[in-house]
Amino acid sequence: MKIETHVWDWPLRLFHWLLVVAVVSAYASGRAGGEWTDWHGHFGSLVLGLLVFRLLWGFVGSRHARFVDFFPTLPRLIAYFKGRWQGAGHNPAGALAVLALLGTLAALAGTGLFANDDIAFEGPLFHLIDKDLSDKLSGWHIRIVNLLMGLVGLHLAAIAFYQRVKKNNLILPMLTGKKQLPAALAPRTVQPVRFLPLALSLLVAASTVWSVWGGSFVDYLAPLAGVQTASADAETSN
Amino acid sequence: MKKTQLAIALALGAVTAIAAAGDIEDQIRFRQSAYSFLGWNTAKIKAQASDHPDTFNKDEVAAAANAIAGVANSGVFEKLYGPGTDKGIGWKPSRLKPEFFEKQDEAKEINATFIKEANELQKVAAGGDPAAIKAQFGKLAATCKGCHDLIRIRE
Repeated sequence: MKIETHVWDWPLRLFHWLLVVAVVSAYASGRAGGEWTDWHGHFGSLVLGLLVFRLLWGFVGSRHARFVDFFPTLPRLIAYFKGRWQGAGHNPAGALAVLALLGTLAALAGTGLFANDDIAFEGPLFHLIDKDLSDKLSGWHIRIVNLLMGLVGLHLAAIAFYQRVKKNNLILPMLTGKKQLPAALAPRTVQPVRFLPLALSLLVAASTVWSVWGGSFVDYLAPLAGVQTASADAETSN
Repeated sequence: MKKTQLAIALALGAVTAIAAAGDIEDQIRFRQSAYSFLGWNTAKIKAQASDHPDTFNKDEVAAAANAIAGVANSGVFEKLYGPGTDKGIGWKPSRLKPEFFEKQDEAKEINATFIKEANELQKVAAGGDPAAIKAQFGKLAATCKGCHDLIRIRE
């Protein structure tokens, strides 16, 4: 007897699919280069904002969005691989993949902020560091893409495996938020999304992106680091 | 007699090697300078025609496009990528991949496109329309990336 249970809240689902769009677009625009390079920066900013949101939502979101709900501790992993794990949210192996994906994307967004392409692109925080360091981070930015491709491949392969072998559709719940669960797990349904945590998470995420690109963040930090601000530098370098 | 010949041959060889080494370093230095100068000019066009349109100065942008076309047509690719120039140190160690010498045909094609787009940018910049300059600059920048991806070592 299985019961339809609400597992993924709507901000989490929206986050997931926006992240798919942002990452695919960032990849495509980054590969294309040229006139698409600025768009690569915009999509990268969207990824950054989404990651900040997800980080906060991992603490204040609904039950199965929280890191404590799915953090792959050793006992949970052992239980999972012995076939004894029971739960409604991410299983421990899936949780490892989630954290690896989020961490890799954070590394990409982080290096991207300081990157340059030696053509006409400079990340919004490029001016805070040496050119040599920026060159190194730019190199790593591209290397990390290979890691991301591997993880995305694994993610998709796992979904296909669950679909075909375990007869468990993982895509539909990420669209509807609902899973068919054994009656024993049905009480693990999530409560409706609370407004205040959502508003605060969105506010912090949006202001992070805005301050990174808006220059105020740079203007604030630059005197502390003893370097010229981006806007002042742009004038003198011409 | 044989020994003298050998000594002369060795001495000549050493002289040639030294001359070649100097030449290699010159080639690397010149091309690094060329790209650095290109960077100064591409930054001006990007800033004025794209990022900060309020700073657009038609004459400065046209001058920058002329400089880029000048460098593109100066024979950097033909004259400054001689054998051995993947190893030397110019202003700093060269980032040319050793595979360059097997991928010369592909690089040559990109270079031809680079020259074509640089010439076109020169024309468009003379016209003074920021939107058209921005679009053409994007095409030029894509050819830069093409070569960076193909033959430049990542830091």
